[in-house]
Amino acid sequence: MSLSSSLNTAISSLATTAEQTSVLSRNVARAGDPTASRKIANVITVPGAGVRLASVTRVVNVALFNNVLSSTSSAAGHGTIVDALEQLEQTINDTELDASPAALLQKLSNALQQYSSASDSLAHAQAAVGAARDIANALNRGSDVIQEVRSQADADLGGAVDNLNTLLARFESVNTQIVKGTRAGSDVTDYLDQRDQLLKEISEEVGIRTVTRGDNDMAIYTDSGVTLFDVAARQITFQRSPFLSATMSGSAVYADGVPIIGTATTMGIGSGRIHGLAKVRDEIAVVYQSQLDEIARGLINAFAESDQSPVPTLPDVAGIFTWNGGPALPGNTLVPGLAGSIRISAAADPDQGGDAMLVRDGGIGGAAYVYNGTGVAGFTDRIDQLIDKMSAPQAFDPAARLSSSATLGNYASTSAAWLEEARRSAGAEADYRETLLIRSTESLNKITGVNLDEEMTLMLELERTFQASSKLISTIDAMLESLLAAVR
Amino acid sequence: MKTTFISTNSISASTRQSLARVQQQLADALKEMDTSRYADVGKTLGYRTGHTISLRQEHARLTTMIETNAMVSSRMESTQSTLQNLVDTAKDFVAQLLGSRGGGPNAISVQTEGKSRLEGFINTVNMAFGSGYLFAGVNSDVKPLSDYTETPPSASRQAVANAFFTEFGFTQDDPAAANISAADMQTFLDTTFSALFDDPSWSTDWSSASSQNMRSRISSSELIETSTNANESAFRKLAKAYTMVADLGASNLSQPTFEKLIDQALLDINTAIYELGTLQAGLGGAEKRVSDASERMSLQIDIISKQVKSLEEVDPNEAAARISQLLTQMEVSYALTSRIMALSILNYL
Repeated sequence: MSLSSSLNTAISSLATTAEQTSVLSRNVARAGDPTASRKIANVITVPGAGVRLASVTRVVNVALFNNVLSSTSSAAGHGTIVDALEQLEQTINDTELDASPAALLQKLSNALQQYSSASDSLAHAQAAVGAARDIANALNRGSDVIQEVRSQADADLGGAVDNLNTLLARFESVNTQIVKGTRAGSDVTDYLDQRDQLLKEISEEVGIRTVTRGDNDMAIYTDSGVTLFDVAARQITFQRSPFLSATMSGSAVYADGVPIIGTATTMGIGSGRIHGLAKVRDEIAVVYQSQLDEIARGLINAFAESDQSPVPTLPDVAGIFTWNGGPALPGNTLVPGLAGSIRISAAADPDQGGDAMLVRDGGIGGAAYVYNGTGVAGFTDRIDQLIDKMSAPQAFDPAARLSSSATLGNYASTSAAWLEEARRSAGAEADYRETLLIRSTESLNKITGVNLDEEMTLMLELERTFQASSKLISTIDAMLESLLAAVR
Repeated sequence: MKTTFISTNSISASTRQSLARVQQQLADALKEMDTSRYADVGKTLGYRTGHTISLRQEHARLTTMIETNAMVSSRMESTQSTLQNLVDTAKDFVAQLLGSRGGGPNAISVQTEGKSRLEGFINTVNMAFGSGYLFAGVNSDVKPLSDYTETPPSASRQAVANAFFTEFGFTQDDPAAANISAADMQTFLDTTFSALFDDPSWSTDWSSASSQNMRSRISSSELIETSTNANESAFRKLAKAYTMVADLGASNLSQPTFEKLIDQALLDINTAIYELGTLQAGLGGAEKRVSDASERMSLQIDIISKQVKSLEEVDPNEAAARISQLLTQMEVSYALTSRIMALSILNYL
């Protein structure tokens, strides 16, 4: 050993300390960034040549990170469903406002009851027709809201797919940098942070699983196993629909040519925003639409008129309520989109030049359907029959997922119950997923994040090392000085 | 080697997130205290929302039914008092007829009185209620009885004149009427004249009312008759008796024939009074059923209101207590945040 080798060691210590300080200052700079992970400078001793910086690594926790990814997907998916249900809920609104289809049905029944107590009054007849118009309009509006929600979900799916493609392209370039850097042995920790951030964003759109291979290379699959990224990004495709009507179904999303949502798929994804949007577009909104369609069908059938001739030969036809297929009745099974086309028959609508008194007398379908043959003013049989029919059980299509036999009013309030229950449980589930996401993000951040206090104490340590090394250099210098003086 | 480690960021994030949550709860609690109902009824009740909607609709249905029952009741009350009025005037007339049976100059005054009674009777029966007539049955928009004394002579008056002329060969005001025997008069009254007040003459000449009474739904299961009509036998008998005295030339008749006429009129009026009583009793029964039904329904309404309240209501005191608790929690959170943020090793270096 010689003085010069001691000098070299002291110099290597200075250089290493400088490197460590630079890593430390990177940590401090990103202390407020929740996505940043803490970097650690690994120092090794080189026999005979002092110390040097071997590598920079970052603190990771793969289990917690995967937890964060799956919570992100679930929270995003459920959040989407809750938003859609909030929009659908405007068809029911606060129970106190009596704005739901069930409440409007009752208002119609009440108007008929009042009309029945004063069957010669035109004002009461018009009030009954007005109540009928209100429920028809409410069903039309409800149908519009549902199709609006579906179309919005379809448009959002388009946006989500575009976003996913962009994210996968960025992922590809970052991943390439990481593989290259790892092979060259350079510091890739910042790229790794960036890649984690991209994974979080991807997992918002679709539930994913990742596989890490040699050289830090990573492949991404959906939670159902379809490849999204493997060496190169796979193309995600989706055909947007300009507007969805009740009779149209939107198209599927394809990843790498495989459908990941829709009824035809066997590899459907289970979480993420795309999953939530597909559930809204193809399931929740469709079921609610079919419930409104069934209410509309029940109304048209309950108010149907039958042939009043002594020997009836003509089929029953639509009465006060009619639809696009009128005057024929809509039959006994679900007619998609009926809630959008139900309306008041022009013959009974004073606004369209009709006669509201036909509610009492019948004959909206033609002369053969007149119930009040003698035209007496106190005729209440038809009105009473309508009230009875409104409160009599009817058969409903089980495709709407409610009871198959109920009175109109009960069916409508069961439908409201169905929606509110979906909203309550989706809300509770979304809250739970959100909490889970916050907790797992917190735990991950607790472990991998930066603590300023610790960095500061580390800095003190580095300062001391730097001072000591400097002192060593000056001491060696003094020793060499005295050696040279002795020689002179 | 680190056994415990926490990042600076997670310390500040945790206080921030809990604050946001508390503020959301505070907004809901404030609304609940104001309205005494859940901030979001649908979301809180879930599937039970269907139950409260059904209850509210049942409430609205019963309220409407009670309102329409009140209308039906007032129509029946008015019918009752009109019937009572008919009974009272008929009784008056009986007293007058008994007093005038002796004939002579009284006969003229009895005939004049009969005329005005007949007009009064027709006016009373044509009583309107709301937009319809009380005694028209379901034909409520048509005046039940046509006027008798109008000009040109009404169908009913013409029919009486024709019947009299066909029977006796001269008109009612002809002095020859003094020759009509009591027996002939009795025969005329029992057959031709009486037939004028039976169908089909009654419905063509006198009455436009329908024999079908108004029916009203007074509860979800009860559909009952709530009117009477001018075609009931009591009304025909009254019309017959008043016409008999007013328009058969009573002042020209011989004393025995006059007495026969008055006796027949008395008989008819007394029968009519009895029959009016039966009608009144029938209506009274219907009135009772309506008021019973309304009473039952208002009891149901009370129960339903209670059920709706128990589903949707929040105790405002509980909400107020929750608010003060949340406020304390927020204050503690603010205080802690500032204390934690002030803690830094930088202050000691």
